[in-house]
Amino acid sequence: MNIDIAKDNGVVTARLEGRLDTAASMEVAPIFESLNQEADKTVVLDCKALSYISSSGLRLFLGLRKASTVKGGKVIVSGMSDDIRQVFMMTGFLNLFQIED
Amino acid sequence: MKQDSKLANKQMSLSIRAGLLIVVMAALFLETTNVLQYVFARRVLRNEASLRAEGELEKAQIHIQSIVNQAEVAVHNSIWIAQWCLTHKDSLYRVPERLVRENPIIEGSTLALVPSRGGLMAPYVFQEGGAGEIKHLSLATEAYDYPSKEWFTKPIELGEGYWSEPYLDVGGGDVVMTTYSMPVRDADGNICAVLTADISLDWLSGLMGKNSVYPHAFNLVVSRGGQIMVSPIQDFIMRKTTDEVAASSGDSASFMRVNRALRSGESGEVSLKINGKGNIVYYAPVAKTGWAMAVVLPEDEVYAGIHRVGIYVKLMQILAIILLALILRSAAKSTAGFEVLNKQKERMEGELHVGHEIQMSMIPKTFPPFPDRKDLDFAASITPAKEVGGDLYDYYLRDGKLLFCIGDVSGKGVPAALVMAVTRSLFRAASAHEFSPQRIVTYMNDSMAETNENDMFVTFFCGTLDLTTGHLRYCNAGHNPPFMLTDAIRPLQVDANIPLGVMSGFAFTEQEVDMYYDDALFLFTDGLTEAENAQAEQFGLERTETVLHARRSSQGHLEALKSAVDEFVGDAPQSDDLTMLFIHYLGTADPEQSERHLLLHNDIQQIPQLADFVGTIAHDMKLSQSLAMGLNLALEEAVTNVILYAYPKGSDGLVDIEAILRQNSLEFIISDSGIPFDPTAAPEADVTLSAEERPIGGLGIFLVRQIMDEVHYEHRDNKNFLSMIKNI
Repeated sequence: MNIDIAKDNGVVTARLEGRLDTAASMEVAPIFESLNQEADKTVVLDCKALSYISSSGLRLFLGLRKASTVKGGKVIVSGMSDDIRQVFMMTGFLNLFQIED
Repeated sequence: MKQDSKLANKQMSLSIRAGLLIVVMAALFLETTNVLQYVFARRVLRNEASLRAEGELEKAQIHIQSIVNQAEVAVHNSIWIAQWCLTHKDSLYRVPERLVRENPIIEGSTLALVPSRGGLMAPYVFQEGGAGEIKHLSLATEAYDYPSKEWFTKPIELGEGYWSEPYLDVGGGDVVMTTYSMPVRDADGNICAVLTADISLDWLSGLMGKNSVYPHAFNLVVSRGGQIMVSPIQDFIMRKTTDEVAASSGDSASFMRVNRALRSGESGEVSLKINGKGNIVYYAPVAKTGWAMAVVLPEDEVYAGIHRVGIYVKLMQILAIILLALILRSAAKSTAGFEVLNKQKERMEGELHVGHEIQMSMIPKTFPPFPDRKDLDFAASITPAKEVGGDLYDYYLRDGKLLFCIGDVSGKGVPAALVMAVTRSLFRAASAHEFSPQRIVTYMNDSMAETNENDMFVTFFCGTLDLTTGHLRYCNAGHNPPFMLTDAIRPLQVDANIPLGVMSGFAFTEQEVDMYYDDALFLFTDGLTEAENAQAEQFGLERTETVLHARRSSQGHLEALKSAVDEFVGDAPQSDDLTMLFIHYLGTADPEQSERHLLLHNDIQQIPQLADFVGTIAHDMKLSQSLAMGLNLALEEAVTNVILYAYPKGSDGLVDIEAILRQNSLEFIISDSGIPFDPTAAPEADVTLSAEERPIGGLGIFLVRQIMDEVHYEHRDNKNFLSMIKNI
């Protein structure tokens, strides 16, 4: 699991690559902590290279979403594959985020 | 007068003598069955012991294998870094340090150079204490002389990875350790260094748990060189070899045999005398390491069940003999006065026919009874005789299990018809909240025996077939054994229980057998086999079997049998009810079924292994990528749950994952021996809430339910079992 963070013009883009399973979620939890610090801005979670996500990964997304509500930012999830989109649909997460292709 | 009484006396003594003869014959017969039963029971118990022992060995084998593999893979994966570091001598220590830091099971590691290729250099990195503190040390000292050590010379000699003999790490708290070492080659393929990983083996002794069935059973693990690594005698561990133990023991021939068996690299069983008592040793090699392990079971514990059963059987038989004597006495008295009764009986039977019709309507007669079920082809039929008889059958489905019974009331006429109706109602009442045929039959028997004033009895067979697993539990109360149709046709093994209504408090026995895809069970009453033609020949079992040999639907079988009986009997009147049940099982174990296993520790770092496990299954079953991902997700959620919550924090536990691949479904069974917990009872996540209202947890089991078609939880044998089925 790899996350690259780029900042540009007040937009923070986190590019997620690989499998976000329970083990990986524990590993990248600190990175999401740092994203939560930026939650007053627009945060784009780029999922083009994300191949798998489990509930612990979804929890990290939800944490960021909650932080952004508190701090007045915005979370955009972009580039989801059909399979990942299916998981978002099942769990109702599709309604919680701004989704972009 | 005198003459008459003499004659009467003579007749009396004749019948007494005949009665005595019957009783003595019966006693002899029962004794013979005792001996047979003893021989048979010994064999069964021995088989069971061997199955248990092999199961335990296999489980341990998988566990050891997974740790050995982890170490080997870690070392192999570091070889390329080692090759790079060899050209940067000042960073040599990085390789072992990375190995130790990233692999908790590796306690120490070194990258030791071949002296002729770069001088003496062997930085050693090791963990100290549990806090993950990492220390450095150089092994390149004159006193230690690493180039002469086995861990260094052997892999060079073999040109491949090598597991060392286990050794005691004296400085590190007397822990048993072993080292895996692997040669490192340069670009020209010449060996220039050796990379090692030290692994503690202190988990070995706890690996094969306490055996609950055989309290004095114990386990052994020995190394290639005969070092004892696991033994109930602590002083032997790493201090004695099996050669030494064998040489110093009282019965050295027997110990020598075990010693040879363990060192043979094969698996099998061998006997061992300890202090004059017999034991059975089941042994198997541990791949790669050259170790062997064994489970030792005391013979007297393996065969403990026999003596207890023997006493019960003896008591029952004495009772049976007394009962037989009583029946004979009352039979001798009641032969008179028969004629008069006959006429009355005929008249009553005419009236009873109506009653009989009513009772027949109590029996389920819709066929096919379960048209929606693809896993069951069921048929039943009852052909009443002219006179009133007392056959019955019943069946129904509850919770995916088929409950069924067949019975034949002794005698005919009013009492038989009444008893039949009572029996059928009792079956419904007894089975309403009960799946155990033994308990159903016991309840029915006790109710009937209490109120049975007419000495009526019912031969009865009762079974419950779990349509999901094919597991059949049954109890036979004196009924003729049904036929089991697998690849051959043979009578089902039934215990010799007495019929219902003979004696209250009788301890009926329950039996079980697994039915597989396409197996069938055929039950019948003696109206089939004892159907007589005009020459007083009986239809018999052989003709029945011949009809069953053809391949037909369940209904087809019953019709074929009925017409075969009709043809055989000809014009002779039908003397008894003819009742048949045919249960053709088409569930579960189809020919395509196979199983896969994965054993994980309660360590979240093991989660990524699930992806490969599911990936291989998906590949073999030709499942789509997205279905595979869904299955991976469901499995991960269920397993994560166990890893995080089943065992107390910091304690070591296992998660056993079994996958059953069937033609039309895939089942995962996840089991652990942690705290009893039913994840299916957890409240469902509400996916309609807004982000602010959504709780962080509760999604896991929700996803499992979304993805899988069936989820069941069960706690038995102190284990949690979660079964998840996906129809494909």
